[in-house]
Amino acid sequence: MNIDKIKKEFPIFDEKIQNNDLVYLDSANSSQKPKVVIDKINEFYTKQFSNVGRSVHYLAVAATNLYENTRTSVQKFINAKDKNEIVFTKGATEAINLVANTLGQDYLQEGDEILITELEHHSNYVPWHFLRKSKNVKINFAEINDDGEVTLEEIEKKITPKTRVISITHLSNVTGAILPVKEITKLAHSKGIIVVVDGCQGAPHLRLDMQDLDCDFYAISCHKMYGPTGLGILYGKKKWLEELPPYQGGGGMINEVKKDRISYSDLPNKYEAGTMATAQVIAFDQSIKFLESIGIDNVMKYESDLIEYGQELLQRNNLVKLIGNPRNKGGVLSFTIKGIHPHDIATILDEDGVAIRAGHHCCQILHEKLNITASARASVGIYNTKDDLDKLNNSINNCKKIFNLK
Amino acid sequence: MNLKELYQEIILEHGKNPRNLGKTDDFNKDAKGNNPLCGDNVHVYLKLNGQKIVEDISFEGSGCAISMASASIMTDLIKGKNENEAKEIIEDFLGMIKENPDLKSENLKEDEKTKLMCLSGVKQYPMRVKCATLSWHTLVSAFDNKEEKVKIEN
Repeated sequence: MNIDKIKKEFPIFDEKIQNNDLVYLDSANSSQKPKVVIDKINEFYTKQFSNVGRSVHYLAVAATNLYENTRTSVQKFINAKDKNEIVFTKGATEAINLVANTLGQDYLQEGDEILITELEHHSNYVPWHFLRKSKNVKINFAEINDDGEVTLEEIEKKITPKTRVISITHLSNVTGAILPVKEITKLAHSKGIIVVVDGCQGAPHLRLDMQDLDCDFYAISCHKMYGPTGLGILYGKKKWLEELPPYQGGGGMINEVKKDRISYSDLPNKYEAGTMATAQVIAFDQSIKFLESIGIDNVMKYESDLIEYGQELLQRNNLVKLIGNPRNKGGVLSFTIKGIHPHDIATILDEDGVAIRAGHHCCQILHEKLNITASARASVGIYNTKDDLDKLNNSINNCKKIFNLK
Repeated sequence: MNLKELYQEIILEHGKNPRNLGKTDDFNKDAKGNNPLCGDNVHVYLKLNGQKIVEDISFEGSGCAISMASASIMTDLIKGKNENEAKEIIEDFLGMIKENPDLKSENLKEDEKTKLMCLSGVKQYPMRVKCATLSWHTLVSAFDNKEEKVKIEN
């Protein structure tokens, strides 16, 4: 794997950011885009544009084919059984909202319980909270251990006879813990519980195999996996997507509309109301091809080495405290520095061209549990190098100088 | 202005050892401010006497050096002022931190202006302006006894 060559495929790294070479360590927030993806958006709008799935003219048919090609690519990429199990959404947030909303319409009843974890991003808590308000369901939290992991045993402990849904992250965007989704799913299914997975951080970093994981739903954020913004994917087992009611109503999702009755489209159109993020879907095919050209196993190996290197580097830095120490970890290095607030860290690092995120990373429950209001987070993508992490560490030392810490 | 100049002694000093941190005894006005983007929060307590003079003022909360320093300097300057003077200082500060080159208020002594001007460098870091203004907006809410959420700069 030639990392220099891979990095050159991302035009942003040719830019000077405030006169610095960019050290981009914010990919868990959103990844940069390779040229093939940017070019495809341009090409589609320039030479191929039409809406999809409606008109019969040449451009419409060609655009529809491109759009559906991405669906097939995604199906293969995540090893879903059926192409119709892939639903495009405006983001992973919408994907989880879709699941919570449609399960909430009929399937879930008052008193039913949803089990999530303390690691969850707000987008895998707030949609369930809506049901707490509207349907009076209860939300339980599986707790983290001292290493920032949620174990299978903890999940098992929190399951009650009323648990109907377990909704969990695949990979924590703060501690980096990779949850044993396959084992959790097996356990859940033995008790008739639906499993929803927030795959926002899992999808860019891990090999995905829906048939092997066997979860019922899996939400993906395309802009975190070298794809365009405004696009997410919901994988849902066919039996659920067929059984559950529609989410949004509008054009494209109907079969027949009469004054007194309406019937809905078959999958996947049933869940794709209105004009979709067409250019983004079509360009996302290039993101998948890009990842496949590197090989997802190579991506995993490379990033895992990077994270290990970064972890050792930061552990040696006397004032840095890493958040979480999961055995199975990916993607992110979250930390605090005694005496410097994460926002101050991020501003000082930014001056050196090192882009990280500071804040609660949409995980207030987790930060409250850790007894901090915010943390700093460096996250890696396929374009990062050990040199980037050295620069991160040097810049952290610069923070210490500015704050007169030793 | 570089970062070293922004994080000068006075900001670091106030950030590390904020003045008036804690809960004022027998306060009669207070408000909570919260920055939903970063989770930082501040609670401002005021003790206003019959002549509407700020007899005591304090704050609780957690945040970055800039927000803590800003709250600390603010409480130092507002103590002893009457409500109208305080509101004029607030307006002057918010104007300065966003666009005005300097402070105009006649209710501030030169050395008080110098202290406040330490925060002017924040202007160059637009994402950080809200760190500097959160406690000031919260103080306005405390004066006005507003229940609703304190706004922050966008």
